[in-house]
Amino acid sequence: MNQAVVETARLPAAGPAEGFAELYERTFPRVYAYVASLLRDRSAAEDVTAQAFERAYRKRRSYRAARGSMDAWVFGIARNAALDELRKRKRRAKLEGDPEDVHAPATDDQADIALRRETVRAALASLSGQERDLIALKFAGGLSNGEIAGVLRMSESNVGTRLHRTITKLREACHDAG
Amino acid sequence: MTQADVLTAIDDALETGRAADGDPVTRELQELALALRADSPEPTREFGEHLGRRVERGFPNRARSKPPWWRQFAEPAAVAVTILVLVTGIALLARGPSGAMDDSSGGSSGGSVAVSGAEDAGGGGGGRTALGSPGFAPGQAGRKIERTFALELETPVDRMQRVADQVTAVTTRHGGFVLSSSVSTGEDSSGGDFDLRIPATEVRPALRDLGALADVRSQSQTGRDVTPAYVTTRDRLQAARAERKSLLRRLEAATTDTEAEAIRQRLDIVAGQINSLRGRLHGLRLRTDYAVVTVSLQAKDGDGGGAGGGSFGDALHDAGDILVATAGILVRVLAVALPLALIALLGWAAGRAVQRRRRESALA
Repeated sequence: MNQAVVETARLPAAGPAEGFAELYERTFPRVYAYVASLLRDRSAAEDVTAQAFERAYRKRRSYRAARGSMDAWVFGIARNAALDELRKRKRRAKLEGDPEDVHAPATDDQADIALRRETVRAALASLSGQERDLIALKFAGGLSNGEIAGVLRMSESNVGTRLHRTITKLREACHDAG
Repeated sequence: MTQADVLTAIDDALETGRAADGDPVTRELQELALALRADSPEPTREFGEHLGRRVERGFPNRARSKPPWWRQFAEPAAVAVTILVLVTGIALLARGPSGAMDDSSGGSSGGSVAVSGAEDAGGGGGGRTALGSPGFAPGQAGRKIERTFALELETPVDRMQRVADQVTAVTTRHGGFVLSSSVSTGEDSSGGDFDLRIPATEVRPALRDLGALADVRSQSQTGRDVTPAYVTTRDRLQAARAERKSLLRRLEAATTDTEAEAIRQRLDIVAGQINSLRGRLHGLRLRTDYAVVTVSLQAKDGDGGGAGGGSFGDALHDAGDILVATAGILVRVLAVALPLALIALLGWAAGRAVQRRRRESALA
């Protein structure tokens, strides 16, 4: 599937936004989820997501398949936009805090599921910014370790090590919070 | 379980949506991964539809964000750098090959020398300098260097006479003189030869001006250090003059005619030696204070002067000249452009690194 997307993206002049539309359909929810996890602000996440896709659209001719998958390329653009937004709004403190309104209210959740979710969110707050970024790329963005390596410009094995360490830390934090 | 096994188990759970690993700790990590996935924020339907429409239309209403302050200077800066490169390249080309004949020795003394007088073939060790070398006996003021320059100029036939006049004018302007010259401007053979004497202190600008009169076809320079011959001749002249003074005093004190006659004979000999040494010293000064510059003026190929110029060989020759000249221009331009490009590349890389670090600092 990735290959099909790459091939159409190489021919952006063939039709108005053909290929890119497929890429958008496939990555939009995940990009939004990643950006929202990072920014913890629904309105800002929408702005940044739109900005990221527009940037990707304008720069789609500069994409080179040799540098990685198109998903990773779009996530790299989204990550840069999100980090710029974080810096601009000086949201570092909020990054450490609780989520604001990015998650839908859990009115119909069962009690134990809701409790579990709150525990995980509390544990997430104990992670550093880089660790939260990694978790967001993996679980909200749904990227493979190789794609994360491309986004973060590090080796895949390094990503694996950091991911293992982070999720183990998160598990311990959940135990502490529970 | 190894780290790789745990990561594989997590990926399996994400793919299947089930946490079913046999190891309790790994299963707990799988459940955590599923919880994180399930808790991912979801976009609203309105936002998804709105952005989807923009994607379909190719983002027609581009919301232009305010560009950074330096963006407005980027384009003028690029233009300025380009102009700088071009101007520098042109300046280097305008200097031309005549710069290779520059002489930075400055070693000749500035004594005034009469134009007339026979030149003496003075001795002294000869030392030839290569074309484009720093100069003759660089950094050794007081050395007596005999300089010879040969310049071969090429000009169209119809400009031959004009260039010949300008050669004389340039020579005079720099305090030199034309020892001999011959110019012919006929249909069959056109050309000219000039034997010039130009003060050593003026030879550098004079050569530059001469080289600017026409195309420089070839040039060469030689130098010979005649300091030993000069010093020897000067010392011998001083000794002869001292002897003459001594002889004159002895002549005044002579008491007999025989003695006086002997002294007079010796004085005649010494006077002859003094005249000879003075002439030799004079010649050495003339040759070191004035550089010998020979200019050969030739008709440009294809412009008459018996050169023909219409043959295939001439065309090949011209093509070769053009290629060499073009390569020369490219080398000079590259010599300027490459360092600038390298600096720009380093600046760009540093800028990217700084920008990346700043971005990452948002997560720190």
